[in-house]
Amino acid sequence: MPDNVIQPPIPTAPVTPAILDALRAIVGDKGLILDEQDKQPFTTDWRRSRSGTAAVVVRPASVEEVSKVVKLCYDNGIAIVPQAGNTGLMGGATPWPNHSGILLSVGRMNRVIEVDPVGYSMTVEAGCVLQTLQETAAKHDRFFPLSLGAQGSCQIGGNLSTNAGGVQVLRYGNARNLVMGLEVVLPNGDIWNGLRALKKDNTGYDLKQLFMGAEGTLGIITKAVLKLWPASKDNATAWLAVRDPQAAIEILSAAHSASEDNVESCELMSREATEMVLRHIPGVQDPLKADTPWYLLMQWSSSRPKADGAEGMSEKMEQFLAEQIEAGRVLDAVLAQSEAQTRNMWKIREGVAEAGRADGPGLSYDISVSVSKIPEFIDKGIKVAQAVLPALRPHPLGHIGDGNVHFGFGAPKGMDRATLNQYEPAITRAVNDLITSMAGSISAEHGIGIEKLDELAHYRSKIELDTMRTIKRALDPKNIMNPGKVLRLS
Amino acid sequence: MSFVDRLRSIVGEKGLILDDQGKHPYLTDWRENYLGKALAVVRPASTEEVAGVVELCAAEKVAIVPQGGNTGMAGGGAPHEDGHEIVLSLTRMNRILEVDPIGYTMTVEAGVILKTIQETAAEHDRLFPLSLGAEGSCTIGGNLSTNAGGVQVLHYGNARNLVLGIEVVTPQGEIWNGLRALKKDNTGYDLRDLYLGAEGTLGIITKAVLKLWPKPKDNATSWSAVPSPAAAVELLSGANAASEDNVTSCELMGRQGIDFVLKHIPGTADPLSDKHDWYVLMEWASTRPRREGDNVQGLREKMESYLGEAMEQGLVLDAVIAQTEAQSRALWALREGHTEASKKEGPSIKFDISVAVSKIPQFMTEGLAAMRKALPECRPLPFGHVGDGNLHFNCQAPAGWSKPQFMAYEHAISRAIYDLVVSYGGSISAEHGIGQIKLDELAHYRSKIEIDTMRTLKRALDPQNIMNPGKVVRV
Repeated sequence: MPDNVIQPPIPTAPVTPAILDALRAIVGDKGLILDEQDKQPFTTDWRRSRSGTAAVVVRPASVEEVSKVVKLCYDNGIAIVPQAGNTGLMGGATPWPNHSGILLSVGRMNRVIEVDPVGYSMTVEAGCVLQTLQETAAKHDRFFPLSLGAQGSCQIGGNLSTNAGGVQVLRYGNARNLVMGLEVVLPNGDIWNGLRALKKDNTGYDLKQLFMGAEGTLGIITKAVLKLWPASKDNATAWLAVRDPQAAIEILSAAHSASEDNVESCELMSREATEMVLRHIPGVQDPLKADTPWYLLMQWSSSRPKADGAEGMSEKMEQFLAEQIEAGRVLDAVLAQSEAQTRNMWKIREGVAEAGRADGPGLSYDISVSVSKIPEFIDKGIKVAQAVLPALRPHPLGHIGDGNVHFGFGAPKGMDRATLNQYEPAITRAVNDLITSMAGSISAEHGIGIEKLDELAHYRSKIELDTMRTIKRALDPKNIMNPGKVLRLS
Repeated sequence: MSFVDRLRSIVGEKGLILDDQGKHPYLTDWRENYLGKALAVVRPASTEEVAGVVELCAAEKVAIVPQGGNTGMAGGGAPHEDGHEIVLSLTRMNRILEVDPIGYTMTVEAGVILKTIQETAAEHDRLFPLSLGAEGSCTIGGNLSTNAGGVQVLHYGNARNLVLGIEVVTPQGEIWNGLRALKKDNTGYDLRDLYLGAEGTLGIITKAVLKLWPKPKDNATSWSAVPSPAAAVELLSGANAASEDNVTSCELMGRQGIDFVLKHIPGTADPLSDKHDWYVLMEWASTRPRREGDNVQGLREKMESYLGEAMEQGLVLDAVIAQTEAQSRALWALREGHTEASKKEGPSIKFDISVAVSKIPQFMTEGLAAMRKALPECRPLPFGHVGDGNLHFNCQAPAGWSKPQFMAYEHAISRAIYDLVVSYGGSISAEHGIGQIKLDELAHYRSKIEIDTMRTLKRALDPQNIMNPGKVVRV
């Protein structure tokens, strides 16, 4: 991505030798990184598209240490960039180039504190890797549904701070729906203990919702009580060639009842996205070899084990697919017969991000519209983008049940990044104008960070931006908490 | 022009109630715990009129008590006694603006009655799952402002989970249009969730985009006698898998409540021949239509075989499954009759508490002991949404006691129960909110940091403190 976002004013108080000593006294030598080369993995985002600076990377080992570090920064007006797994896509965890403050990584706080299988909850520290949490839940015959491409390295604190999405949102909701309680270090260093393992708690303002999705600009999430679900015992996965996106919506709508509300995922893939994966990701097979423009990856899961002789998920899905073929919505379909076949289907879906990078320069928009408007959006969106640059190669895909499309394009054959960048602002404006005219969102899952700072300011009403600013100023009066992210204060 | 004349110029004669008799229903809550006064009851017909009224009040520094159906349990919609406030009722804004069955959404004004929304969804073969005792008179704006709960939270979540977008009039009289019909929207702070549950202290919800679900086509309702609350929790845990995650309600009741219902609610009958200490009402619902023919496993058959297994394990002592819609309704009448039966039986103190689900059995034992220690002759009336960890842990006065006689014990009983709830990491208000009734309790039990953060938000968004002042948190 080009650096086309102008940096907002951020606090410039330096980390003096005295402050550094004070930091060392709090977190010890193990918790400090000063060497430029060692700091680099923290100050550069994982796509290497953006890098900044930090006087020091601070890695506290406990909430008390986080609290003391923040208090020190608060007293001295030093800016803090909180960071978890550093897998974000919008630069929210990357310091600005002239950031003079600290980067606070929660990665050392990685303990699972408690698992309560009967109460279906798990209490964890912010630095736990998502995949570790999925595996911990599975060991207790439970399921933690958050699932996304970066799960092997992203951390739950970051997932919650960005209200992460992923492939299971359809059934379980976004990250904010998977949380019962939070512990947060506020911008003045106070610790808010909201670690309540309660499904219902109507006692005043819902503070936890405010911190989730705030991308570390209102405080630092240090612990969370997560909700768990029963582990699934009976799954069916299929790869469908479908008539068009409209048919995909109708198929999903009918699938709810046919599966007895057990639709776990439903991902729309264009032929172009599928082919891109087949080209670049080794070992992936085309499940259908059907030359049709649209596919659907559908998974049904039930926590009820398949009883002998009874209909399981596979039988129900088979019957459903036959009906859908008859209705003309499905052109062809294959039901996975083994774990390996299931994984192959998922690899196609999950390989898109990596394949996109291997395919060369491209653009991607993480947008959402109301579900019923998806077909219209895809149709018009391709037209408005190609009106700017006719040879753009669209490869859309997305979480169709969430109304969330990853609206991606490859650069015209042979075009380099620099040339594409010249077209990017016009294409972005055209796509985002269309989304806004359709009452959609310009960032469905990935957040705002730095990348979309100006887009948000452009598309949201003054009253909405002012309300956010009022909240930011009230909770972080010194603007030290991830300053210059999400919204411009003036 | 006087203040009242200026109000009239915004909402017209139809939107203004000034006489005492006309105002009365808006000045008292339905439980008649509070009787306040108001300069006027204002009933705007549109968001623009609401904004106009709020702008005027902001300029004149007149406090506003927003009100929906006035069915709240905590006095959040009732005005104070000083008579300096206006009541702003949303009940004239009662239009359904759009139903999108394919997108599974419905856009409504704040004053639409919950039952109307349920029925409208059903007409489109959809379900709006919010369901609670007052559904025939409560309005959606109030439901959202209090983040209402009810009997289907287990499956669908609280009111806040049933909303995609809202429109709000801010304390400055500006209109925030957050009416987005989006399931995913990570664009800055989640303002929506701040207004939901704020009980009208941060702004007035004027419209909402609600989520819809497929309408269930196959149901099963059962009434089980269980040996203990622990058995109820275990019964529910197993039911999730046995039903393929189709448990929509799971309500625990004690014998005391059943006795009151049978005594006071006409037409109710004990479904089982013997008396038991504890009961579980369970509902399963699936959107897959029941198929005809042999060997078909509908929900009723699945429930039957599950309860059979549970009986063998001793989790269930006796059980009955409703065979008809009428039987199902009769079982639900036993649960829904609790509030009315308790009112007829005499005075009571209501505790709407929650703890982690796994702690319910232990809490029940200790809570009942604590209640009896505070007043040995009291009649505990615990019932509730066991799957949500939410108990209506009510305390019925000893037989024949007057309200003043009983209320002398209120403080001691409350302190005992709330202390225990807090020691369990629980909530002193699971669904009903804070309003006026729990203002001091919240201040007592929450950390200073939490209260201060709420105050900071309140002061920032409503610097003049005109929006439902003196509710939820003291500034």
